[in-house]
Amino acid sequence: MTIVVERVNKVYQSGEVDIHALREASLNVPDNKIVTILGPSGSGKSTLLNVIGGIDRFDGGSVRVAGQSLENLKDGQLTEFRRTYAGFIFQQYNLIPTLTVEENVEVGKELSQNPLDMKDTLEKVGMWDKKDKFPYQLSGGEQQRVAIARALIKNPTFLLCDEPTGALDEETGKNILRLLKYVNETYGTTVLIITHNQGIGDMAHKVIRMSSGEIVEEYENENPIEPEKVTWA
Amino acid sequence: MILRKTISRTIKEKKFQYAGVTLLLVLAVMLYVSLSMAITTLEERNDTFTREYKQEAFHWMSSDPLPDEELQALEEQFEVTLERRAYQDISTDENSSLRLFEPTTEVNLPFISQGEMPENEGEIAIAETFADRNGFNIGDVVSMGGLEAKITGYVFLPDYIYMIEQQTDLLADASIFGVGVTTSETLAALSGNEQQQILGWTNSNEVPEGLRSAVNTISTLLQFISSEDNARIQFVESEIEGAQSLITTLPLFILGLSIAMVLMLMKRRLELQRKEIGTLMALGYRKRELRRHYLGYAWIVGLIGTMTGLVLGAGLSLPLSDLYATYFNLPALSMFDFDPVVLVVGFVIPLVLLLSLTMLVVNRTLKTEPLTLLKPKEMSSGKKSWLEKLPWLNKGSFIRRFRLRLLVRSKARSFYIFLGVMFSTVLLLFGLITFNSMDRLVETTYEDIQKYEYAVHYSSIQTEDRDDDSPYTMAEVTINEEKVSLYGIEPDTDDLHLMSEGERLNDQLTEGVVISRPLAAIQKVGAGDELTLTNSFNDKKWTVQVAGVADVFIGSNVYVPRTEANDFLGYPESAYTSVWQDDKPASMENVFMVEDKQKVMASFESTSGATRNSVLGMSVFAVLIGVIVLTLLTNLIVEENSPSISLFKVMGYHEKEVSKLVLNVYTPIVVVSYFISIPFASLGIEQTMNTLVQQTGFIFPTDVTWWMVLIGFLVIMMTYGISLSLSKRKLKKVSLQEALKKQQD
Ligand SMILES: Nc1ncnc2c1ncn2[C@@H]1O[C@H](COP(=O)(O)OP(=O)(O)O)[C@@H](O)[C@H]1O
Ligand SMILES: [Mg+2]
Repeated sequence: MTIVVERVNKVYQSGEVDIHALREASLNVPDNKIVTILGPSGSGKSTLLNVIGGIDRFDGGSVRVAGQSLENLKDGQLTEFRRTYAGFIFQQYNLIPTLTVEENVEVGKELSQNPLDMKDTLEKVGMWDKKDKFPYQLSGGEQQRVAIARALIKNPTFLLCDEPTGALDEETGKNILRLLKYVNETYGTTVLIITHNQGIGDMAHKVIRMSSGEIVEEYENENPIEPEKVTWA
Repeated sequence: MILRKTISRTIKEKKFQYAGVTLLLVLAVMLYVSLSMAITTLEERNDTFTREYKQEAFHWMSSDPLPDEELQALEEQFEVTLERRAYQDISTDENSSLRLFEPTTEVNLPFISQGEMPENEGEIAIAETFADRNGFNIGDVVSMGGLEAKITGYVFLPDYIYMIEQQTDLLADASIFGVGVTTSETLAALSGNEQQQILGWTNSNEVPEGLRSAVNTISTLLQFISSEDNARIQFVESEIEGAQSLITTLPLFILGLSIAMVLMLMKRRLELQRKEIGTLMALGYRKRELRRHYLGYAWIVGLIGTMTGLVLGAGLSLPLSDLYATYFNLPALSMFDFDPVVLVVGFVIPLVLLLSLTMLVVNRTLKTEPLTLLKPKEMSSGKKSWLEKLPWLNKGSFIRRFRLRLLVRSKARSFYIFLGVMFSTVLLLFGLITFNSMDRLVETTYEDIQKYEYAVHYSSIQTEDRDDDSPYTMAEVTINEEKVSLYGIEPDTDDLHLMSEGERLNDQLTEGVVISRPLAAIQKVGAGDELTLTNSFNDKKWTVQVAGVADVFIGSNVYVPRTEANDFLGYPESAYTSVWQDDKPASMENVFMVEDKQKVMASFESTSGATRNSVLGMSVFAVLIGVIVLTLLTNLIVEENSPSISLFKVMGYHEKEVSKLVLNVYTPIVVVSYFISIPFASLGIEQTMNTLVQQTGFIFPTDVTWWMVLIGFLVIMMTYGISLSLSKRKLKKVSLQEALKKQQD
């Protein structure tokens, strides 16, 4: 198992009230699979993803990712953990505006001892012809492709995608999903996709459903459908 | 690291801002390096010349020349080196006067910088500055004092570094007075009357105890001056000391401003790149990698700024050194005579300060959790500050509320605008006050107060009645160990009007003494206070009350009725030592020294040209710094408010209206800062003068007049106007799309 989460809690102190973003959440993610986490807005999906990716701390419970117990790691060790194993994809792409497509991917490449080939990676995400463009010259879908290339090039063990299609229209969104599936099949990268878009669950090997910080359902799909067939919500 | 590329691109995109801060840094380093190099050069030359050419520890003149045996006996008794030196003053055809000395071999050794030492009769070597100003060259034969003299070289004398004719002269002017050396034979053949002085050198550079009185018992002393009291020697040292504070304060201020601006840019950069930093952290970039990256901005600004500053400063120090060379006659005895530490300090200090403070700012952002950085700022700190909750901020028209809120939101910017204006104002007013005070000083001292043309000092006490002229008694006394000139004058004299703000204080001499402004400043006394004078010869004391302070800006003087001075000094009642008169004395018999007022005034006029130039330089500097700081700030303000600006434009506001909304908000701050700075500037310069008075012996009038306030105001508003128009161009460039783009985030 790449990722094992056991009875994890996360409480935000927000003024007088405590917000339980995660309540005794437990789950596991098998190797080389696509897993989606579904749930309404505010149900704790992002919190869970951030805990798994080592950019957020949690209160009690244990998280083992790629053989490491995150609760025992110090800040510096967490950085090394992310550097080695994790790839992040954000809803807002978060590219560096002053760098070109190729240079933005270079930012990810520098983090790895044995990165993938630049040309190969950019060709795989279909951005090789636009490698010298700046982010503001690209559409949202294209920017997300660059972000995926940036995460992919360091050859991470898993990709963490927080609403990767949230800012995109149906056609572009499905192209991105197609790309994520392709990455999973080609490199064997475990892909975790967070979405409030119910239909996306059908393309995953495993689906986890959250509500009010709790994991309320967990099931595996025998036959995941093709991204093109996903019902878009 | 690929991230490095973002630095050069960001700087290129914001070239105006980064060029501004770099320029400030350049100015700070340049100013420091050029002044320090010039001053350390001066210091080094002074030290070397003093040491290697045996500058005197003292010299004296007595009524009868001491025979050689007496000198030898004194040398042995007091362990000093004594040497006799003859000299004569002669007039040149150029209306200047030249003091020719015979060469010495043990004390005050002459240094020939060019040409040769005079060896034959009729040959002379003269000070280079004197030659320059009078149009003489080596090889010229010039007629002076009935002599056809051939100039064989340029000479420097260790006891005439500041080349003034009388000890009491304030300003050296090589066009009217200079020194030179010639052979003893040539000197003897001259028609005028030859004077003799004894030069003394000691290991410790101190006057041996008891020497003075020992000499006085052999022959009455006319003059005995230690190097400490010798303006020709001491003035260069005061200048070095005085300049030291200027060298550090002014550049430090500019450095402070420039670092503050860099930090501001840095904070802004980090703010703008919050999400990028968060992303990079999430991707696995280490803190030290990010820190190194962001320090890159400071490195670039710092390295370019300090290096350019060093080069320009080193270059500028050359003309500065030359300028000093026209004031102080010091030879260049070695090739590198500046202090190399200056370069290190000018490079290292700004860089270390800049980097370490930037590091602090960067670390603060890097300490933030990546998750917090990834979220939009509004979510984490959307709270209004207490200032914004004040009711008067939320009243009135929309425009009023918007502008007020902008002011409050950008407290730091407003504060720096305030500081920038203050800095420029103080600098500008310093310039204006100095500019004016030269004129005021000459006017009051030489026109309103001194009504005579010549002051004649006799070599012995006179008692003979004088009808048309004003006899007076002058003697050196001490107050709290400080030397003071005591003037015993006829209270109703027409030759000296002791004015104070337009009122004549002469009549008040019956109630107490009148003192000069420098004395008032040194002793910190005013009308009604008491002073105790001590007669240096017999320790007799005399306590007097100060009746008033006259606008005499030069010298530590006490004015009393002549009879009272004579009484205190033990002179006959009708005695006098000097006379003020309107005509040049017909005979020089018994005359020790003649002060020519017009000559002094002329030398003042000639130096005021230099002062005026430096004032002009200072004003340009003030405006330059003002423009840079204000433009930087208003530029940032436009940038920060570009979403609102864009929105206003989309809504149909005209550019003029928008700039009124966003930029002119700061006009009241500029105006208020200006008027608050005026008393600061005036107080500052008064303070500076008061601390310098002990060394210089004079005080500059420092009043601020209405025309200075007006000119200063116009200049500052012009400065602000330039910055505004520069920033308006930026405001014009804010696109309409900006408003729409920002909303997506
Ligand atoms: N930094 C925070 N401070 C306080 N509450 C937070 C913070 N981050 C998230 N929350 C709260 O935690 C809950 C879960 O948030 P999140 O994981 O972002 O949900 P989702 O991604 O499913 O929409 C929500 O109620 C949210 O308001
Ligand atoms: Mg979320």
